[in-house]
Amino acid sequence: MTHVITQPAPSSAPPSAGPRSKRAWRPILIGWSFILPNFVGFALFTLIPMLAAFALAFLDWDSYSTPEWVGLKNFQRLLSDENFHVALRNTLFYAAGHIPLTLIVALGLAMALNRKIRGVQFFRTAAFFPYITSLVAVAVVWNMLFNPTAGPINQALEAIGIAHPPRWVASTDWAMPAVIVTSVWRDMGYYMVLYLAGLQTIPNEYYEAARVDGANAWQRFWSVTLPCLRPTTFFVLVMLTIQSFKVLDLIVVMTDGGPGRSTLVLAQLVYREGITEGHFGYSSAIALVLFVIVLTVTVVQFRLNERRSA
Amino acid sequence: MILSHASGRARERRHLIRSIAVAAALTLAATACGSGGQAGGSGDGGSTLTVAVWNMAKTPEFKALFDAFQAANPGVKIQPVDILADDYADKVTTMLAGGDSTDVITMKNVTDYSRYSSRGQLTDITDLVKSGDTSKLAGLDAYNVKNAYFALPYRQDFWLLYYNKAYFDKAGVKMPENLTWDEYAKLAQQLTKEEGGKKVYGTYHHTWRSVVQAISAAQTGGDQLGGDYGFFTDQYNLALGLQKAGATLDFGTATAQKSDYKTMFETGATAMLPMGTWYIASILAQKEKGATDVDWALAPMPQRPDGTGVTTFGSPTAFAVNKRAKNADLAKKFVQFAAGKAGADAIAKIGVVPALQSPEITSAYFGIKGMPTDELSKKAFQPDKVVLEMPVSEHTSDVDTILKEEHELIMVGDKTVADGIKSMNERVKNEVLN
Repeated sequence: MTHVITQPAPSSAPPSAGPRSKRAWRPILIGWSFILPNFVGFALFTLIPMLAAFALAFLDWDSYSTPEWVGLKNFQRLLSDENFHVALRNTLFYAAGHIPLTLIVALGLAMALNRKIRGVQFFRTAAFFPYITSLVAVAVVWNMLFNPTAGPINQALEAIGIAHPPRWVASTDWAMPAVIVTSVWRDMGYYMVLYLAGLQTIPNEYYEAARVDGANAWQRFWSVTLPCLRPTTFFVLVMLTIQSFKVLDLIVVMTDGGPGRSTLVLAQLVYREGITEGHFGYSSAIALVLFVIVLTVTVVQFRLNERRSA
Repeated sequence: MILSHASGRARERRHLIRSIAVAAALTLAATACGSGGQAGGSGDGGSTLTVAVWNMAKTPEFKALFDAFQAANPGVKIQPVDILADDYADKVTTMLAGGDSTDVITMKNVTDYSRYSSRGQLTDITDLVKSGDTSKLAGLDAYNVKNAYFALPYRQDFWLLYYNKAYFDKAGVKMPENLTWDEYAKLAQQLTKEEGGKKVYGTYHHTWRSVVQAISAAQTGGDQLGGDYGFFTDQYNLALGLQKAGATLDFGTATAQKSDYKTMFETGATAMLPMGTWYIASILAQKEKGATDVDWALAPMPQRPDGTGVTTFGSPTAFAVNKRAKNADLAKKFVQFAAGKAGADAIAKIGVVPALQSPEITSAYFGIKGMPTDELSKKAFQPDKVVLEMPVSEHTSDVDTILKEEHELIMVGDKTVADGIKSMNERVKNEVLN
């Protein structure tokens, strides 16, 4: 393939304009033919629906009647819709818990499993396993663990003298933390693998030099490991941010947004307003706001990263 | 590799053509996947009717109806679109929104019916109602939307009280004939016990809001769409009192472990269970299979002390024709068949209460093997008044969501009854009715 694409046209005898332009098109066509299957899939199922959602945000449409142009009305409604405010607050709460905790736990795990210890492969696999386990199974099992009366977590807490342990998913205060704990457990293995890869790129000489200079373990971590892991951390942070703001599946299975609205998140509100209630315009407006939030946070992260790299 | 210029170019061309052909084939395959084409005919000269149902294997009424319809219409084949019961509403909503062409859609409850009909997703079948004798079709009123009908009920469920006779006998108590809620609460506490390290609850209240709210509305005449929910108070106090006394499984635990009322009753974890008549067919089937040995009977729903006669709530289940149905005429024929005598006979035989009511059908019903035959069970089966579980209007779905959320908050103890009801009033008025 490379041979075909990169072969230059013979320079000794310049052919006429027709064949030359034909030849110039050829690599482009070949390139397109290879990405076409993927691109058509992407365009049909991602790009077009996304653009359609942007347009829908300015319409009033229930998927059956004729769409009606309502301008910014859907966005104005967002300002006074308590469900939206609750969902936005909950989403931010989830992100604020899920992002740093997953990052810290994944890094900790990677550090712990980046040594030559016996059975390290087993521990790495064990840590990664939750990530490939069915999400519904994860949610159901954690719900059992969090069971307020018969769950092992509360039984353990009671055994160590906590008389009134949290009621977890049955409490408006503790339901979101319970969801965060579950999602950190589920995601930690994936990010651990990224960190492991990052750790293995750090040259051992840096640590040796630091040791010679008399740096203790903490100083080595702070001055060598962390700075060297910055590209990995940046990638992990961006991925975690996007993932956190889009959370839906785990919450639907674990709490379905309840009790009350204590775990209702934006993605669930998008689903509820659009699919369940048939307010596709309003639902798209919420989706658009969610998109803008994720985009802004990600752009800020990129900018900060660039500034630090400079 | 050294190639002559001419053969190199020929090879490039072949490469190009092959690449484009492969890409085109893949593209076609990808787009064909997305088109979701569905065959309307069975290919053998007959017709295939698609019907959206839930848990086909565990809901024997569907098979009974399909077999009966196929026997009456040779050449017609019914192809069920089987959906998990818990996901049914979401899945059907998504299907309809996506322009799916399944012919018949089962209306699991009237809340969803009001949603689909108000969005114009169902075919108007008022002509079927007007042309046939529908005077004995219980629950038909629930489908009246501004004098138009978009579904016909084939079964009519109402709530009654299931109880474990063995536990009552063991405790030396008899189920009273006219049970009040106070007596019910006392019984529940009396029957709660630890047996061989296993807790037996006096009663089990499932997590649905109807268990508290719909029964209050039915017995007090309260309006669940009205925005004023003071009439829920007594029933909430009762439910929370039972929970506090440990006479029923705590709501938070039941939600967290996604508790199943069938398991609770059939494994003997509860002595009483307020539930709908749809559960009868399931117990009969389980007993037939030998999966449970629960010694069960029926009693009417407990009543308020000032109540006269037996008032309960219920919900019909219906079939509707999809607006985008591929075989609309055949679909209408099926809907009419299921709501008619032949449909009623087919499902009464397996323990499901048909919407079409007549003394013959009721006596056939109690003649099924395994049905309790005592007088109280028969009385439970003939309530004086069955109020619709939730009124149908364009607001039903929105109000339902708010009432469910506030119900959860009261039941997990996050809000007092008074605060919860205050929130319901305010939210329904502000978010829905204004």
